[in-house]
Amino acid sequence: MKTVLRIALGVIAAIGGFVDIGDLVFNAQAGAAIGYPALWAVPVGVLGIMVFAEMSGRIVAVAQKPNFVLVKERYGARLSTFTLAASLLLTVLTLGAELGGLGFVLNYFFDVSVSFFILVAVLGAAAAIYFLPFGGLERVFGYMGLALFVYFAASIKLDPDWGEIGRGFVPEAHGAAVYWYFVVGLIAAALMPYEIYFYSSGAVEEGWDERDMKINRSNAFLGFGIGGVLSVSILVASTQVLKPAGITPDNVGSVAMVAEVPYGELGLIVALVGILFAVGGATIDTAFSAAYNLAQHQGWKWGKRFRLLDEPRFTLSLAGFLLAGFAIAQTGVDPIELTEYAVIFSIPVLPLTYLPILLVGRDRQVMGRYVNGPLSRVLGWGYFGLICVLAVAAPVLFVSTNGGS
Amino acid sequence: MARRRSAAFAIAAAAVLWSGCGGLMQPDELARSIGTLESSAAEGALLARDVARDRTKATFARAHARELGEAVDHEAEKLQDASADGEVGVRKSAAVDLAGRISETLGKIQTAPGSEEEGRSAQRALTRLGDRAGRLAEGL
Repeated sequence: MKTVLRIALGVIAAIGGFVDIGDLVFNAQAGAAIGYPALWAVPVGVLGIMVFAEMSGRIVAVAQKPNFVLVKERYGARLSTFTLAASLLLTVLTLGAELGGLGFVLNYFFDVSVSFFILVAVLGAAAAIYFLPFGGLERVFGYMGLALFVYFAASIKLDPDWGEIGRGFVPEAHGAAVYWYFVVGLIAAALMPYEIYFYSSGAVEEGWDERDMKINRSNAFLGFGIGGVLSVSILVASTQVLKPAGITPDNVGSVAMVAEVPYGELGLIVALVGILFAVGGATIDTAFSAAYNLAQHQGWKWGKRFRLLDEPRFTLSLAGFLLAGFAIAQTGVDPIELTEYAVIFSIPVLPLTYLPILLVGRDRQVMGRYVNGPLSRVLGWGYFGLICVLAVAAPVLFVSTNGGS
Repeated sequence: MARRRSAAFAIAAAAVLWSGCGGLMQPDELARSIGTLESSAAEGALLARDVARDRTKATFARAHARELGEAVDHEAEKLQDASADGEVGVRKSAAVDLAGRISETLGKIQTAPGSEEEGRSAQRALTRLGDRAGRLAEGL
């Protein structure tokens, strides 16, 4: 019974952690610009994060090594420092975008000022980090993030063309650069580096060992899978609401309006609550992810499982990253544009993030009987190849399509 | 060697700056700008429709109308600052005028987000302005 409960909670946490501002924005924009033909990119990205999350959780359960420890061990000083710098830069940019997004969402409820609510958001995130235990953080934001299922209901209520949706899951050859820009963005949004850093460090926080293989598998496959269903729902609902009206969603409010059209004010409020907690969860994930990476690279004691005051360097870096994200958000930079940059420019860093997982996952000396099986090997290296191709294609597509416009 | 590298960097930077600044506005740039106006008008019309039917939250309608209005104003500033001649110049001026009207109508939603009457009027106006933007971009 206890295991079932842990699985259920982990699944919910994975859903909450998966849909962040990048997913919301890219799915809505892809729906508005491309429509159903972009759908196939979502499961491609989701399967990728499932494969790597399962592998990194298994490595933690066997070797107790989170992802950045693997980076440090496998890359040597210079490359691991470069990977750290790149991942910190992108994670803090993402954190700034998440905080900016929270400022907008809170302002939709009270209409005071976005800057004021960015301050409220950062204080709220800091309070949640300080007062809630690690499991509590995941559950609060995961449960409340489930309000995003309003998009699932909306996509059905809006009476879509199911045949078109079915055809959307079949990749098609396409000449338009904008189409490929969104395909690449959708895959990348699912594979953001901070997600895997947080997942593996979270597994250490929760003390996984070899008895937790089932929990790892269900979290990775079910949790990210249901997160993928949410992504598809947002894309489908946006295709039905925004595309026919010729609307390009340039802010969080446009994404919220997609639920308002079928359900009125109630739909709007449920969507805003879902976005608030999903993005709030991602804010905490990104802040932790940056602090985990720095601490693991520097060999500091780290983790929420210890009292924060007992590990001042980790605590200070966590606070510092929150402040850096706050400073970025307070510059007034558009969080949607910031997200687009963070998603697209995270792609060149993806190979550096995922390679150590593959190298350790196949190492029988480390993994023993839990070494990667044939399916993990094929999928892992297949996705690694895809990531390398995307790493080259993403910046080119970004420039050639003027950011998908 | 270092000096040669610095000179090459300076030339490259100057080339990038030269290509990015100044010059006449191209039809595709104008089409993108008008597309932003059309999108904002369409979204404003959708929002106004929900205001008219009392199907939205007043704080959301006000804040979102403000965001859309700011985006339109920003686009108008960019259009105003750009140089253009011939047909592109004529359409650019029309786009600036259109942006002003869209922004003004969005301002009405912002001022009275709880008024169903204002919502209906704004919906009609924004739909019309969005259509005009679509026609303005045709053939660019």
